[in-house]
Amino acid sequence: MKMRFLSFAAILLLSACGGGGETNSNNDAAPDSSSSSNTNTTSPNNDRTDSNSDSNTQNNITPGSQTETPNNTVEQGDESGNESSPEEDNEESEGAADNIGTAPIVDLKPPGAVLRKGNEIIINSVVTSPTEHLTYAWTQVAGPEATLIGTDSQNLTVILPTTHSVKKDLFTFSLTVTNNAGLSTYVETDIESVNAMNEFQASALLQQATLGATLTEIQAATGLSEEEWLDQQILLEPTYHTPFLENYPDRENPSHINRIDAWWKASLSAPDQLRQRVAFALSEIFVVSDANTSLKGEPEGMVAYYDTLLKHAFGNFRTLLESVTLSPVMGVYLSHLGNEKADAERNIRPDENYAREVMQLFTIGLNELNLDGTAKLNDNNTIPTYSQQEIAGFAKVFTGWTFAYSARWDRPSRNYTLPMHAFSDYHSMEEKALLNGDIIPAGTGPEESMQQALDNLFSHQNVAPFICKQLIQRLVKSNPTPAYVERVASVFNDNGQGVRGDLAAVVKAILLDDEARKYSSVLVHSGKIKEPILTKVHLWRVLNARSELNQYYTWNLSTTYGQGPLLSPSVFNFFRPDHVPNELQALGLVAPELQIATDSNMIATTNGHYSDLVWRMAERKNTLNPKTIYMYGQSDITMLSNNGLQALLDYYNLVYFAGSMSDSTRSALVDLDSYFARKDAVHRVAQLLYMVSLSPDFNYQN
Amino acid sequence: MPYSNEQSRRAFLSLCLKGGASIAALTSLQLQALASSASSSTINDYKALVCIFLHGGSDSLNMLVPTSGSERADYEQSRQNLVVTEPITLNTTTHFSGGVGLHPSMSALEPIFNAGQLGFVGGVGTLITPTSLADYKNKAVPLPGHLFSHNDQQATWMHGQEKVSLNTGWGARILERLNQHASFTSNISLAGANPWQVGANTTPYALNKNGITKINALRGYQPQVDHVKSIVDRLLSTTTNPIQDAYASRLSSSISNVQNMNALLEQAPTLNTQFSDNPLSEQLAAVAKSLSISNQTGNKRQIFFVSLGGFDTHDDQLIRQPALFATLATALSEFHSALAELSLQESVTTFTMSDFGRTLTSNGDGTDHGWAGNQLLMGAAVNGKELHGTMLSQQLESAIDVGGGRLIPQFSNEQYFAPIAKWFGLSDIEVSDIFPNLANFDAAALQLFK
Repeated sequence: MKMRFLSFAAILLLSACGGGGETNSNNDAAPDSSSSSNTNTTSPNNDRTDSNSDSNTQNNITPGSQTETPNNTVEQGDESGNESSPEEDNEESEGAADNIGTAPIVDLKPPGAVLRKGNEIIINSVVTSPTEHLTYAWTQVAGPEATLIGTDSQNLTVILPTTHSVKKDLFTFSLTVTNNAGLSTYVETDIESVNAMNEFQASALLQQATLGATLTEIQAATGLSEEEWLDQQILLEPTYHTPFLENYPDRENPSHINRIDAWWKASLSAPDQLRQRVAFALSEIFVVSDANTSLKGEPEGMVAYYDTLLKHAFGNFRTLLESVTLSPVMGVYLSHLGNEKADAERNIRPDENYAREVMQLFTIGLNELNLDGTAKLNDNNTIPTYSQQEIAGFAKVFTGWTFAYSARWDRPSRNYTLPMHAFSDYHSMEEKALLNGDIIPAGTGPEESMQQALDNLFSHQNVAPFICKQLIQRLVKSNPTPAYVERVASVFNDNGQGVRGDLAAVVKAILLDDEARKYSSVLVHSGKIKEPILTKVHLWRVLNARSELNQYYTWNLSTTYGQGPLLSPSVFNFFRPDHVPNELQALGLVAPELQIATDSNMIATTNGHYSDLVWRMAERKNTLNPKTIYMYGQSDITMLSNNGLQALLDYYNLVYFAGSMSDSTRSALVDLDSYFARKDAVHRVAQLLYMVSLSPDFNYQN
Repeated sequence: MPYSNEQSRRAFLSLCLKGGASIAALTSLQLQALASSASSSTINDYKALVCIFLHGGSDSLNMLVPTSGSERADYEQSRQNLVVTEPITLNTTTHFSGGVGLHPSMSALEPIFNAGQLGFVGGVGTLITPTSLADYKNKAVPLPGHLFSHNDQQATWMHGQEKVSLNTGWGARILERLNQHASFTSNISLAGANPWQVGANTTPYALNKNGITKINALRGYQPQVDHVKSIVDRLLSTTTNPIQDAYASRLSSSISNVQNMNALLEQAPTLNTQFSDNPLSEQLAAVAKSLSISNQTGNKRQIFFVSLGGFDTHDDQLIRQPALFATLATALSEFHSALAELSLQESVTTFTMSDFGRTLTSNGDGTDHGWAGNQLLMGAAVNGKELHGTMLSQQLESAIDVGGGRLIPQFSNEQYFAPIAKWFGLSDIEVSDIFPNLANFDAAALQLFK
């Protein structure tokens, strides 16, 4: 934070005694520890001997009184409680100390709380030493233009502008106080203002950053800046899913449906929604699945895998990569668990499955990329990132690993929740070729090989653009500009503190980017189709979906929504990040989510919404089936009854549309309701919600 | 639907499809059918293609194995613990040294083979031009992009060409080339979106394997249904950007397609053929049901896509592969019976594709991604009881082994597709236009049809 204080005519001296530089700020005017504003009594002026520098002289309003002021400066320095410089001040100003003038000693007291754009604030000035016959002159020195009221008063009222940017605004205001002897003191104060999200901005952020926000969550975020909300979310304790995993009724173990049940319970209730959303996104990159695989019988392992993603969602990518690689669930899914070194006699060589997919899907992709995610070209041809040689090398790395605490290699413990352990005897000790020509020398054991191989993958230049672009696509938009990808990828490569792979910083960079927040230009292809399962989660969160037995046994997620948590049909996820639907081919736009928007899936999804919202609206029932999951629409029903249709649509516009409900959508909903006007409010609400659920405005996250 | 009586509905549908009646609920289908019949004046017969995609890369070099001689010895030496024992000897019309043995779990196919209605294609894979081991090693010829990668090789099989500028599939291209794509019912998938069926002007209609799918919101009291439908139509016609519009237009067409398809499927006869409840049989049962109403749709040509997953046998191959092959054979056999029941054996050709073959070497209990493999095709029009192409040598480090037993195809998949496209009705010129790399090969090398 840059602070300045310049007492006219004392510049030379003051500059000299401000030797501590700009960090020697006087903080007494900012009692709050967050210090959003400060006055400063020292000069940052690098050229401390030059009293005639532009910035100084232009603020001198009564030149020619130089001799009168040095002492004031000293006094002010003392009074300001500057802990680091008084000694210096005294020492260095000693020569002038006898020449005591009577210029006012001025202290500025801007508000202590976090200041927000649009706030009306008052900057108080406190003048000690002669306090009579003073004149005040306030000006704005820097920052976006603010409205100043009372520029000749002791205290300045400022209306901070509501700039359209996610970034904070920085202002400098100055005050010159002149006494009747013509002696003046010039002081400045720096102020910063942060966004206060309005409720629509909050809703838009939470569409991208939660599994579907409720009104309460939107209201809690309203008034905060985007960054404050993200920081709060990142600091929340992770809500892991394992504690939600229950045994199947009357059994001693959980079954597959209990894993789904746990996912619902956590997803619906967890306060750390950002982490839940990012983990869900990661589950579509680091894909494992128990749809039609042996893992269907390992719900504990599957939930533990999801917890791994949750745990590292804001951690470091390198750690995440290692945890995923050593997960026994991944080991089974991509068959590197139990993978053995070569046996030439039996024509057996290491399994290449994980070696291939960890490169193609989890880290670097098939082709060399620029930082902005576009393909590098050589004579108009893409450049492959690896060949069979590297696959064979990594395949050797992933040998010798099996379930933790296995007594022997051939007696696996089948512990699906702890990271795999290695048996050196089954690990390939051959030389292993890695990327970029790196080699693991012969004789290197399994743990060391693993570390070197993962370091090698992690250090590849493709990782940042490859992963960041996909995260942008999962959270924000299908077609990010290369510049957006590059900005985020740069943060992946260095979070500003020299750390590579800081996922919290990456997530913040994604969500705070202009292209995500759209404070500046609105881009045409600025959003994405929502994932069908996430539209369901959103509706369920808002409508407080629950069964009396507190069971969320949703058996048919894949056939109804074309997807579900950890239910991908293959390691290639439900849809590919580069899927170009036929409709968008001419425009060259991708829309990954539309890969599963087949006729049968789309009808099944709308039917799923219909049965939730119309058939299973609790208020329509006289008796509830304890196992059935109902929607609870009472607050909507009350609002419709008491405040009318427009009020209800305003609420829907906020919660479901983040303000993007078009006039035509609204009028269609009004006309829908006109048909049901004679029916009871619950019926009307159900029909409206169903129509919301299939509307293009709701299904497009903008 | 104002028709409560089945007979009048059927009569009406028939009338609609002939262009003699009009009703709002069936307008789009009627128009499509009209367009279709108008453009198909030169086509008088009916034909359908059914593509079975074996997802994951089938180890089809274990579907057909040598039964004797040095070929068998080479096979046993390379395959070791993954050797298929007691294969079914196939008496192919052409003699192959070392014989041709079928995986024993595919015994359901033996009678169809012997009846001359099932054939195999050996040694086929993705190629741009004929490729020798030296060519491969020296990069002397262009190679298909991203060999051994699942989704890329799947795309290459389904596109029927290396990705050029458009992502169109060869199934859609031959349908469009014959101008038979006007009705959505001409292009049906039981396995969701896939590149094979995506053309410039057609995308597959994804049929639920259960056939009829009711639209919950559009059932019940007709005035309410009409009102709700009118609101849905309004919502889906007002969009603000192309991505949103793609969603809206899909949902819109899904609703009308499902309604139209339901109207047709409600008339489908019940088949005597019993299908198993495995995933492939269920899909082929739905195809059979769709075929049973093909005379109602006005289509002269149809393409269908079904798939069976799980062929990526990196592990447990000895357990998984027999089960997969048994499922495939069972489903094919059931489908064959259903086609006989529908008297469509001559009109329908069923064939397989897969990502790639697999390595001859094992990784202990499974195999990894390879290249060349074997395929099969079924139908009365097929030149059956034959292995077309070649039995690849399963010797390691042979002149076609690029490493680990990944074998160079001796026939390109476009050579495999060309006769299928020709049977479907394309001229030689149209075929070579559809498959741009075919010029590098002998287009007539595989005589797959009688």
